[in-house]
Amino acid sequence: MSAIVSVTNVSKIYKLGKTEVPALRGVSLEIDQGEFLSVAGPSGSGKTTLLNLVGCVDTPTSGSVVVDGKDTTALSERALTSLRLDSIGFIFQSFNLVAVLSVFQNVEFPLLLQGRLGKKERADRVNGLLEAVGLGDHARHRPSELSGGQRQRVAVARALVGRPKLVLADEPTANLDSQTGANIIDLMRDMNRKDGTTFLFSTHDQKVLSHANAVIRIADGQLLGRETVARAG
Amino acid sequence: MILVDLQIATRNLLQHTRRNLFLGGALAATTGLLILLSGLSGGMKEGLLQSATVLASGHVNVGGFYKVTSSTAAPLVTDYEKVLAETKKHVPELQDYTVRVRGYAKAVSERSSTDLVLAGVEVAREKKMRDVLQLTAGKLEDLGKPGTLLLFEEQAKRLEVGVGDVITLSAPTTRGQSNTADVRVVAVARSIGLMSSFSAFMHDGTLRKLYNLREGNTGVIQLYLRDHRQAPLVAARLRDALAAAGWRVMDSNPQPYWMKLFQTIPSEDWTGQKLDMTTWEDEMSFLSWIFTAVSVLTGILTIVLMVIVIIGILNTLAIAIRERTREIGTLRAIGMQRSKVRWLLLLEAGLLGVAATGAGALLAGLLARLLNGAHIEIPPAMQMFLMQQNLRLVIEPGRAVAYAALLALVTTVASLLPATLAARLKPVTAMHHIG
Ligand SMILES: Nc1ncnc2c1ncn2[C@@H]1O[C@H](COP(=O)(O)OP(=O)(O)OP(=O)(O)O)[C@@H](O)[C@H]1O
Ligand SMILES: [Mg+2]
Repeated sequence: MSAIVSVTNVSKIYKLGKTEVPALRGVSLEIDQGEFLSVAGPSGSGKTTLLNLVGCVDTPTSGSVVVDGKDTTALSERALTSLRLDSIGFIFQSFNLVAVLSVFQNVEFPLLLQGRLGKKERADRVNGLLEAVGLGDHARHRPSELSGGQRQRVAVARALVGRPKLVLADEPTANLDSQTGANIIDLMRDMNRKDGTTFLFSTHDQKVLSHANAVIRIADGQLLGRETVARAG
Repeated sequence: MILVDLQIATRNLLQHTRRNLFLGGALAATTGLLILLSGLSGGMKEGLLQSATVLASGHVNVGGFYKVTSSTAAPLVTDYEKVLAETKKHVPELQDYTVRVRGYAKAVSERSSTDLVLAGVEVAREKKMRDVLQLTAGKLEDLGKPGTLLLFEEQAKRLEVGVGDVITLSAPTTRGQSNTADVRVVAVARSIGLMSSFSAFMHDGTLRKLYNLREGNTGVIQLYLRDHRQAPLVAARLRDALAAAGWRVMDSNPQPYWMKLFQTIPSEDWTGQKLDMTTWEDEMSFLSWIFTAVSVLTGILTIVLMVIVIIGILNTLAIAIRERTREIGTLRAIGMQRSKVRWLLLLEAGLLGVAATGAGALLAGLLARLLNGAHIEIPPAMQMFLMQQNLRLVIEPGRAVAYAALLALVTTVASLLPATLAARLKPVTAMHHIG
């Protein structure tokens, strides 16, 4: 399998006035196509920073991040945005749905931005995904009418609708109770199995961690190693 | 996509109803106020046109001056039948005309005196005078009898005379001496604006006699066109045509004839007859300061209101963007380009602008109708400036649309800066923003 993400010797230093906060220190990481990978570590260890760099919403202070064959440090803002649109799906901790759009429209939105599919094809793809995440009956609802777990399902559908190679999720279960959170992780795992989409997500939660098939341990901005999780079932 | 954009924009607008109603209301009020003001100015102009073209001018006037010596002048058109015949050939737009004698005299009553600009009329020919003049005493028909005079209330009060009283007119003639005539006041009309403070009507034959006018001479031929807006065109055409036909024609000079008579003509070095073509606006130009004042006032108000509106928009949008920072960050993260973010915010402001100014324009139109229907009487002291007895607003639809469009545009342009700043937010910062 080929690497969808190559992080090579990456450092990220935040500047807070005169003090410098090193969030990542010489991190190197390869993620292969089809992996279902979790990043675990204590608070402040650099999980969010790492995901932001891989997600092309931030750039490293040094080192290189290559996503889907493109060196992100060499891309313009415009090109980075296009890369995010076409190759990466995002799932956020607090769902981040567009409040004024319906569930259907929220999921459809990335397709509209891509502008490649016709109305009928879009509707088919969106409805298919809504069925898959168990929200086929909620297409016309507004996000505010849904529970947290349901909202995160919508977010999963939105992240997948553009058929990205990589989906990033920073603490996707932090705002959910652990049962609902586990269900979301299972949903993501199903999607990963079904069409081979690569998932990278971070978590604090040990219970959630047991649903991943591999875990990257991070502490104090440094990678401690990668381990495979033995899963029951 | 554009449909979804519109949907996002309208829904976002509806989401923050209070804030947007406030801003929209301010925009609508501004638009409405400016349109009503322009309606007032339009009404004044219409009032002026109506009274001026009956009392003191045609749409176009073929007048002129006759100088026996280079230092004396009289407002005369000699052999006017020929001038009229030639004029008719060149004005297919002509609907009607009247011929009037022009004069200027000191009116002396037993107790007082005043200066009058006189128009000698054949009252039977002056059909429209009946519509414009509202008599408070006497009969208009009586002006058909020799030795009669019509005054406006204001003048009658100044001279302390009423219907039936006799006053003496003393007029300087071309030969330098003064002629006098005794005339009887047969009618008093309600004052109409500034004009009625000094212009009065009298029997045409009597005014001729006062000036010793020869048969065939007159003061002015007043032309009425089917469309008064053609006046400047027709005046220019007549100037050329009558000059080509052999008359001596004066250059265009937008001043009323009596100002020329007293100020410019006596100092010019020529004798004999010259024709002078003017439009009603030329004859009323001494009132143009009122319109200038209204325009200046409107202009200042426009600028002040615009500044307030722009500050309001910047403020409101700044708040709106702070509130939506996370949403903007999310959209940027999932792949929305900066330009698209800016477009969405501009669309929102533009929609608010169009809706609010459109509503303002409609409300102004409605209010104008109500005000016009109510026939509100303007206090006499104000009538002079507003040139109307009853308040009447004339809103040109094109102008109303222009005001609404201008304000909608200002709204959109003002939102350009906050929208651009919002579009430049980094997706990370925006995503993790609390709020
Ligand atoms: N924008 C920023 N400016 C300055 N320092 C920052 C910024 N973002 C993160 N940091 C610092 O960088 C380090 C790593 O932060 P990061 O958010 O990546 O940790 P995390 O593992 O995601 O923590 P958590 O589990 O609490 O989400 C921390 O010390 C944090 O204080
Ligand atoms: Mg974090």
